[in-house]
Amino acid sequence: MSILTHILGWPLIAAIALAFIPRGNRPLIRAVALLATAASAVLAGIMFVKFGAAAMNEDGYRFVQQAAWAPSLGISYHVGVDGINVALVLMGAIVAFAAACVSWEIKEREKEFYILLMVMTGGILGAFASLDLFFFYFFHELALVPTFLMIALWGRGEQRTYATFQITLYLSIGALIALIGLVALYLQAGAGTFDIPALTRHLAENRLSEGSQAFIFPMLLFGFGILVSLWPFHSWAPLGYGSAPSATAMLHAGVLKKFGLYGLIRVAVPMMPDGARDWAWVIAALCLGNLVYCGWVAMRQKDFNWLIGYSSVAHMGFAFLGIATLGLVGITGAVLVMVAHGFLAAVAFGLNGYVYHHTGTLQLDQLGGLWRKLPFIGTAMLMAAFAGCGLPGFANFAGEMTVLFGAWNTFKTITVFACWGALIIGAVYMLRAVRSILHGPLSEKWKDLPDAPGYWRKLPYALLLGCLILFGCFPRLLTDKITPSVAAALQAASLIPAEPVPQNAPMRIPQRERVTNLHPGNSAGSDRLASAINKP
Amino acid sequence: MNFDALPWIVLFLPLTAAAAIFLFTKRSARISAALSTGAVVASFILSAVYVGIAGLEPVREDSHIWLQAGKLLFEFGLLLDPLSLSMTLVVTGVASLIHIYSWGYMKGDEGFARFFGTLSLFTFSMLGIVLSNNFLQLFIFWELVGVSSYLLIGFWFERPSAADAGKKAFITNRLGDFGFILGILTVWAACGTLNFLLLRGSASMLGAGATLAGLLIFCGAMGKSAQFPLHVWLPDAMEGPTPVSALIHAATMVAAGVYMLCRVLFMLNPAALQVISWVGGFTALLAAVIAVQQNDIKRILAYSTLSQLGYMVMAVGLQGPTPAMFHLTTHAFFKALLFLGAGSVIIALHHEQDIWKMGGLRKRMPVTFWTFLAGTLALAGFWPFSGFFSKDAILAQAQHQHAWGLFALGLMVAVLTAFYMFRLVFVVFGGTERTHGAEHAHESPAAMSLPLQVLAILSIVGGVISVESAFNRQFDPQQHGASFVAQLLAPFSHAPLAATLGLLAAAAGFALAAKLYRGVTTDPLPARLGFLSCWMRDRFYFDELYEATVIRAHDGLSAIAGWIDRWIIGGLAVRGTHGTTELIGRALRLLQTGNLQTYAMLVALGVAILLLWVVFC
Amino acid sequence: MNVGLEHYIVVSGILFCLGLLGVILRRNLLVIYMGLELMLNAANLALVAFSRFNNQLDGQVFVFFVITVAAAEVAVGLALIVALYRRRESAHVEDLASLKL
Repeated sequence: MSILTHILGWPLIAAIALAFIPRGNRPLIRAVALLATAASAVLAGIMFVKFGAAAMNEDGYRFVQQAAWAPSLGISYHVGVDGINVALVLMGAIVAFAAACVSWEIKEREKEFYILLMVMTGGILGAFASLDLFFFYFFHELALVPTFLMIALWGRGEQRTYATFQITLYLSIGALIALIGLVALYLQAGAGTFDIPALTRHLAENRLSEGSQAFIFPMLLFGFGILVSLWPFHSWAPLGYGSAPSATAMLHAGVLKKFGLYGLIRVAVPMMPDGARDWAWVIAALCLGNLVYCGWVAMRQKDFNWLIGYSSVAHMGFAFLGIATLGLVGITGAVLVMVAHGFLAAVAFGLNGYVYHHTGTLQLDQLGGLWRKLPFIGTAMLMAAFAGCGLPGFANFAGEMTVLFGAWNTFKTITVFACWGALIIGAVYMLRAVRSILHGPLSEKWKDLPDAPGYWRKLPYALLLGCLILFGCFPRLLTDKITPSVAAALQAASLIPAEPVPQNAPMRIPQRERVTNLHPGNSAGSDRLASAINKP
Repeated sequence: MNFDALPWIVLFLPLTAAAAIFLFTKRSARISAALSTGAVVASFILSAVYVGIAGLEPVREDSHIWLQAGKLLFEFGLLLDPLSLSMTLVVTGVASLIHIYSWGYMKGDEGFARFFGTLSLFTFSMLGIVLSNNFLQLFIFWELVGVSSYLLIGFWFERPSAADAGKKAFITNRLGDFGFILGILTVWAACGTLNFLLLRGSASMLGAGATLAGLLIFCGAMGKSAQFPLHVWLPDAMEGPTPVSALIHAATMVAAGVYMLCRVLFMLNPAALQVISWVGGFTALLAAVIAVQQNDIKRILAYSTLSQLGYMVMAVGLQGPTPAMFHLTTHAFFKALLFLGAGSVIIALHHEQDIWKMGGLRKRMPVTFWTFLAGTLALAGFWPFSGFFSKDAILAQAQHQHAWGLFALGLMVAVLTAFYMFRLVFVVFGGTERTHGAEHAHESPAAMSLPLQVLAILSIVGGVISVESAFNRQFDPQQHGASFVAQLLAPFSHAPLAATLGLLAAAAGFALAAKLYRGVTTDPLPARLGFLSCWMRDRFYFDELYEATVIRAHDGLSAIAGWIDRWIIGGLAVRGTHGTTELIGRALRLLQTGNLQTYAMLVALGVAILLLWVVFC
Repeated sequence: MNVGLEHYIVVSGILFCLGLLGVILRRNLLVIYMGLELMLNAANLALVAFSRFNNQLDGQVFVFFVITVAAAEVAVGLALIVALYRRRESAHVEDLASLKL
């Protein structure tokens, strides 16, 4: 029984267990939910730490478990992780735990809410861990359906009914297009299996015809793209997140949105490299819409939730740009951005929820001077704002830099605009928001605001920010795992030359390799230098 | 303990202090301040020990892999050569003095602990810039310094002007960073590496793009060192507490741009250097002219800083990194001194900053007065104060390069510098007390006056304590160190024209200021200069210009995007789909009449059509 | 005049059309029902005619089935019409439009 089955299984079991707990028993309900997500998070952490030492099967996956489900169709329950999805599973589990913590503000029908939350968690983690196309799609839909109920019943704002229907129908259309693409892929590949590693191997040798790739790849691109709010299919995001309860917004914006990007990296690009090459410029052009256009729209927003929603859409532009490069550096950067943004969106929406819960509004012109009353929440919000505009020290910076460096040679003009979007537009709206919410004089009506009391209330925000800082200061924890897997996938699809990728390089760079003569021609200096270089 | 770990300890000690303060000791003001000050003083002592034992040379590097993905390699390491080690000493030294000063200045402030925590964060970031061994790490600390500056300028965040000033500083810096990152990307694409030592060997691979790369990298320096046209944030940054202005906006952060240019000087080709020198010269002149008509004590000093930064950038452009770094060091001493002295005056007068509401303070605050005078003499460039030597080095470089336009410009700025500084001294310290507050001023406590005295000593002797020879070891090793007396007289023997003209310029400025401002109670210049004086006082309307053009253009673009998103994508596409679906539904609904006979007729019609089709097709 | 198959078919057709017209155009439920019966009997006529002229008894056997089914249908249908009339107080087909959207 692989650790992955435990990770995605405990929330699902908790959902069933919650059904048997009587409705009014709030402490027990919350305890079960917190325990299940904590178990997932801890196990995911253990898996992440043990990743390097674990056994790898011949496809490059670890912690694998496979059980046949419908052999005639080639469907099996197959879970496993490689460098690309191990960090996503970890991020999903941690965000789910934080989301469960943050849900203390839900005060009615908690039982149903937590059941839905657990189902959503199990679905998301299953989607990332799954190595079978059928279950990949199935788990995603399992995670998507609860959002409909959660936004409808526990949402906020007058537009929440419209938001519920819009987000559900829009995402279902996207998922439908992706499903058509996936089924077409299954049929055209002719391998009789939904198994992702098997399909990848099969298609590496018998590539799909140009014609098939030409119509399947765009279906997957736009299907998954709608799920990730690719411009111009992004309108569902700000309204949906604005109307959703915090936990739903955290899980959806932080984790579920990455499903589409993961699908592109895992399925679309390796299996249809020619289609990917033809459509790469489209992805790059559209990602400008995310980065620059959505950034500009974010500048106009007067509601903080909408601002964060548009900012979230803007960050997806980086991941798309990274994928469009079809190169090792770009896609590594895209995965980094995905993980980093997961934590960032979660903490941003969590903090929003806290402020909304206590003030009843997120309009920028009605808040102000809150840093004095909310030192912890305010500082957390400040850190989240700076992480959002790409400050070093947070994981988003590492991801964005990798993407920019990866994309510079391929898409120079677009990268210039991407830099503008990241550095300038991001800073403008984030700082305007901070200026409106945290700075300035404190108005009378907020003078009794409580800060997050005790360690339990501070835990989710501290945990998420801590992860951002950890991966921001030590990105090698992620890239050392991601790069070999991405390289393997791209080499199998012949998108990059098959040369060995530097792996597990030591931390310290040896001095011996350096050219350290400051003043060539000055022999006295170089003698001293030479003796310094050869010092052990 | 491994001796090589010392530089790492020097770098990370302030960060540890900052983390400890923010996580644990925020409630206790005294422990936080002690932690922060202790960390930076320890850093200074450790770096002095390191330089004492290991020496400024040879070049050493200690690098780790921060992120690696295929061909992309981001490093995190320390580069220890005369340039970085000297700067480390300057940064930690000046920072220590300002930390001590802040004990007195920020006393009783509600955010005392937060102040020291952020100061430690800043010190860490600044040391990071100085010790970086590659472009990306430099950029990382560049941004961190920007954020520390934002937090410190907006320290009194409940004041709208302070919050706005912090935002303005950060975004203007980011505009420079935008050019900077494009420059870094260009360099990486051409040379394949970001490491400074490796780039020395491969800088020629820049080829035709060298000018563009150089100018893009200069954008970063323009932002951080507040060169025209990105100079507008520095005067507003005076909203922060005075120790912040002294440390960040006089001595260290703004000097980072100059430091960076000196670090990568080998990459800048003559065309780029030409542009750099003229931008620096123009900034120097513009800021000096504006300073002549400012009436807020900190703003005068801010524009003075802008002007001196222009000098340093001009020196770099004239291929004189040693004069630039020399001036950077002496400027750190006397500008920090001037700001701290101004802070002393401000506190004594209960946060009054208008110079026309001061006066006669030389009798009431003698320590402040004499140290301030020392700083002014140094800034104006009188012999034998430190400023004379460094300014002379720059003028001599201009003369050496036959850049007569810039030489003349430098002299003009020297005149104006002496003029506005002595205007300040005469108005604030001279004459009689003009207000109630001035009458009741008294000297500052020891925590504040001690650093003033130390900095005054450094401002006086800074020109002859072998600072220049330290930088020469980096840039021009043929020059040999000289003795104390030789250094005192060197300018007159090496470049007599520059030295004498510089001294004359300073004297002329002083004389003009004495004539106009000795013993006056109101400013005589507006009457003489008319509208020009208004323009100078209103900073030549650059802020308004930017507001009307750049900011409005960008906001206009965002308004268009917002409109498209709301009406075309949201309206036409999404609600349009929704509406179309509903319309089709309504149309089809008309078929359901509920009338039995209609249904029956439709059934019959359908059957007839089917039969026709089957029989005849 | 030689009465051939075609005459019977034409008559059957005319009867069918008359019945159909009655179903579609008349407004009284019972008259619609009579039209329905007329259509069934037109079909019967056609079946008998074909059986007679093709010398196969299958058609006439089928007529028995149709008559039986028609009888059952009449029983059920008239019961429904009576129930409807009692509910709606009207035998007008235009008053029975509750399925309208």
